[in-house]
Amino acid sequence: MSEKIIEFRHVKKTYGSNTVIEDLNFSVEKGDFVTVIGSSGCGKTTTLKMINALIQPTDGDIFVEGTNIRDRDPVQLRRSIGYAIQGSVLFPHMTVEQNIAYVPNLLNKKDKKRTGEAVDKWMKIVGLDPSMKERYPSELSGGQQQRVGIARALAASPEILLMDEPFGAVDEITRSSLQDEIRRIHAETNITVLFVTHDIQEALKLATKVLIMDHGEIQQYDTPDRVLQHPANEFVEKLVRRERHTCLLAEDRIGGCEFSRAASGMKPAAGKTE
Amino acid sequence: MIRNVFKLLVQRWDFFAKLLVEHLEISFLAIAIAIVFGSIVGILISEYQKSAKWTLGVINFVYTIPSISMLGFLIPFSGVGNATAVIALTIYALLPMVRSVHTGLTNVDPAIVEAAKGMGSTRSQILFKVKIPLAMPVIMSGIRNMVTMTIALAGIASFIGAGGLGVAIYRGITTNNAAMTIAGSLLTAALALIADFLLGIVEKRMQKHSKKAKHQNKIAGITALVLIVSLIAGLAAVHGTNRKTINIATKPMTEQYILGEMMDILIEQDTDLKVNLTQGVGGGTSNIEPAMESGEFDLYPEYTGTAWNMVLKNTDVYTEDQFGEMQSAYEDMGMTWTCMYGFENTYGLVVRKDIADQYNIRTYSDLAQYAPELTFGAEYDFFEREDGYDSLCETYGLNFGNTMDLDIGLKYQALAEKQIDVMVVFTTDGQLADADAVVLTDDKDFFPSYLCGNVIRSEVLEEYPQLQDVFDKLAGQIQNEDMVKMNYEAEVEGKEPRDVAAEFLQEKGLTQ
Repeated sequence: MSEKIIEFRHVKKTYGSNTVIEDLNFSVEKGDFVTVIGSSGCGKTTTLKMINALIQPTDGDIFVEGTNIRDRDPVQLRRSIGYAIQGSVLFPHMTVEQNIAYVPNLLNKKDKKRTGEAVDKWMKIVGLDPSMKERYPSELSGGQQQRVGIARALAASPEILLMDEPFGAVDEITRSSLQDEIRRIHAETNITVLFVTHDIQEALKLATKVLIMDHGEIQQYDTPDRVLQHPANEFVEKLVRRERHTCLLAEDRIGGCEFSRAASGMKPAAGKTE
Repeated sequence: MIRNVFKLLVQRWDFFAKLLVEHLEISFLAIAIAIVFGSIVGILISEYQKSAKWTLGVINFVYTIPSISMLGFLIPFSGVGNATAVIALTIYALLPMVRSVHTGLTNVDPAIVEAAKGMGSTRSQILFKVKIPLAMPVIMSGIRNMVTMTIALAGIASFIGAGGLGVAIYRGITTNNAAMTIAGSLLTAALALIADFLLGIVEKRMQKHSKKAKHQNKIAGITALVLIVSLIAGLAAVHGTNRKTINIATKPMTEQYILGEMMDILIEQDTDLKVNLTQGVGGGTSNIEPAMESGEFDLYPEYTGTAWNMVLKNTDVYTEDQFGEMQSAYEDMGMTWTCMYGFENTYGLVVRKDIADQYNIRTYSDLAQYAPELTFGAEYDFFEREDGYDSLCETYGLNFGNTMDLDIGLKYQALAEKQIDVMVVFTTDGQLADADAVVLTDDKDFFPSYLCGNVIRSEVLEEYPQLQDVFDKLAGQIQNEDMVKMNYEAEVEGKEPRDVAAEFLQEKGLTQ
């Protein structure tokens, strides 16, 4: 029913004698929002960068939209995949409009009208006022810069969006609204998202599936609810312990929060065993 | 002094304007080439980092070669004149250019480069759309430094016969004209400052981001480009129309400047030929002679003794009996001695007039008897030279009571103040004109003969036989007293060499 848009088969990555990833196998289905979480150095960014060929695997194969990426021109591959990375890595010498139009311009330099329309469309979607087109990144707030970064990653309407801790450098309130934004965009466009983060709360909030990594190995790959309800091992249990005890009931029902989310989810499961 | 400088600048504005334009041409050409090549090299070594270290090493090494030696190295390959100057300036301009491009490109935030790559830019798109625009501020400041440096350095171009404001500086130094030197230096400095100021404006404008500013920048940039291209094209056109031209060189000596001007005036007056006069080529014979052989220069004033020792590399003392031998040696090299002016510029001994009269001293031999009572003065090197003081004393049996080392500029003053009684001079020293001194006769031919004449390339003389008429006209016309007087007018009275030359020709009735 659902098609595998990304698939890792026995992927290994070593730097000299240092093995970052031993044997990675997983697949992402079209329309998924996968958050990749783990501690620093666990190989999550490496995993992400192997998808758009910024890093070449030492061994194994990666398939994107059914094609082994070894058989694809890396430049063409990257142009078909949206890419947003941490911090303000907008091009400082380009306006908001030029930043967003960057990939469309690489693809179809001549078609200015289409590019212009794409810029307008994506600025609207990420919630940027059209008056900001002529501004330079240095004239924007941190949140606005992130929105431009997302719009830039999406401007060529890719099927896949890779995000590497995109909201790492913004304040809590801005981050929360950006998270809502990206979730809405995902819902509206049905794009497949791979989102690297080290914030478990963010990982659980955004994902349709969470990929938990440690030491280059997958610890658990499941829906947020299943991760919370059935941590696969001690590592995952430790990672989600606080979240299991956090109440996420709506404002008007907050008084009735007698149990944690994890506990309420476990009730039917407990009932079944009776 | 400042008034003199300004007076000179106003009076001789045509002269300075010509030098200014030449200075701009040479500098801009070198700057343009350095920008193009420096950028290419800078980009290449940034993209291929492995080559960066040794490339920068080589360029650094070349940069440490003193400019004068650099010009010396280049002369055998590219001759004297503007080409060598442009090459030398370009070589010096390359280092700051390559380095600033390299620094600018390698210091672009790697995260930004990775973002560009991750979005599917090709290598050249990363370079041109991201790296170069971001490196621009560093590159621009490198260009600013380089331009200022090049304009200043272009002052040495005249040393090897190229034009530019260095000509004024160098001429000022050799003809003892401080105002000329200062005027040339001031204009060079002003040019460098103006160029720096203009580039500062360009730099500021480039940082402006508004659409309007960008539009204006585009227009200004295109205008500047068109101007520069048309300037260069214009130059090429001017240089391209080289009709029958005689290229004359002179050494950096006052009398040679004057002789050069005489040749220029007479040849242009009496023939249909055009003269291209390159005054005061640095290094004198050692740089002019090779350029004669390669055909860059056709004619220059030379001294027989110098030619005998320096060009023909003989070690014995030259006397005029050997002229025939020298002439045939020159003919083998495709050159001919012609138009011997009549004066000689050799070492000479002078005695203060009161002493000469008192003891009736007229020759070197006459000196021997009275030497123990006299004080002898000369520059430091005369006492050191093998054919200098000791050898002179031995030949004539001289035994001076006292000797004194003197700076060349102070000799005449010391003689006037009676600190010294006998001294070594050059026989055409301008200051001899008003010195109370008698030039003695070298009755044993101790000093080599240095008669002044012209060396011309034989094929030029054959091609333009009308030149012979000019030479015949001027041959034997200038005696030592004449040359001393003309040197005096230029060095002490501060007259222009060309005016001195014109007045002399007028007096002799050689000009219409």
